[in-house]
Amino acid sequence: MSAEVDDVALLRACEDPSSGACARFVAAHLDRVWRYAFALTHDASWAEDVVQETFLAAIRGAAGFSGSSVRAWLFIIARNAWHRSHRRRVGEPASFEGLDHLGVAAGWGDPEAHVAAVERAEALSAALGRLDPLDREILALRDQDGLTGPEAAEVLQLPLSAVKARLHRARLRLMCELRSEVGHAAGA
Amino acid sequence: MQQEREVGGLRCGEVLALLGDFVDGELDAATVGRVQAHLAGCDACERFGGRYAAVVRRLRAERPRLDDAARLRLDRRVRAG
Repeated sequence: MSAEVDDVALLRACEDPSSGACARFVAAHLDRVWRYAFALTHDASWAEDVVQETFLAAIRGAAGFSGSSVRAWLFIIARNAWHRSHRRRVGEPASFEGLDHLGVAAGWGDPEAHVAAVERAEALSAALGRLDPLDREILALRDQDGLTGPEAAEVLQLPLSAVKARLHRARLRLMCELRSEVGHAAGA
Repeated sequence: MQQEREVGGLRCGEVLALLGDFVDGELDAATVGRVQAHLAGCDACERFGGRYAAVVRRLRAERPRLDDAARLRLDRRVRAG
């Protein structure tokens, strides 16, 4: 049986509260849903609120699930929960920088190598924390949770080409932030 | 930034635009070959591509972890509804 078939069967079993399936369902998906919520919020307490709301909504809606990917569905619910909990709705970036401009800011064409910052875990976490939530979101989906491009497109309700462009720009912005980490470290 | 160059039939800017798909293994073989030909002759793009790939590798290796206390807390919260 494939993982997706397992996921759907477990979700269906959640309709019977006495089955113990809900606990197994939560355990099976908790890490990835939390990681996604943390990417959106970059705040542990807020992420926990989003996770709780996500699982409660999923369990309530188990009977009505008709999709093929429980994992993508959970991310969509989490995204909605995050939006609802956001004091100020986060819109799409006001404008996209030109790729060349963004590349230069990320160190493209710079003869100096800034590999050192990439090697420091705290530098990566700090740099991620300074990114826009939508950049952290796409990095979490594609690079940290390993969703395919089409799966991420389903979660984000975007064409695949837009997902690819967003991912590339998010990585370049992360490189920009890592460069500034080097500046901070050098100035410290 | 250095002058953008054409190497291996691709300009630096074109390589920058293809870098994400290149690192993700989502380019066709012919385009991979053209990118590789550019990187072989363009030191700046080769270094930048290496840093880009290193950042992606690091993201994949350093996933945030849910600690045990938070796991227990969340389990209780979902059970409590």
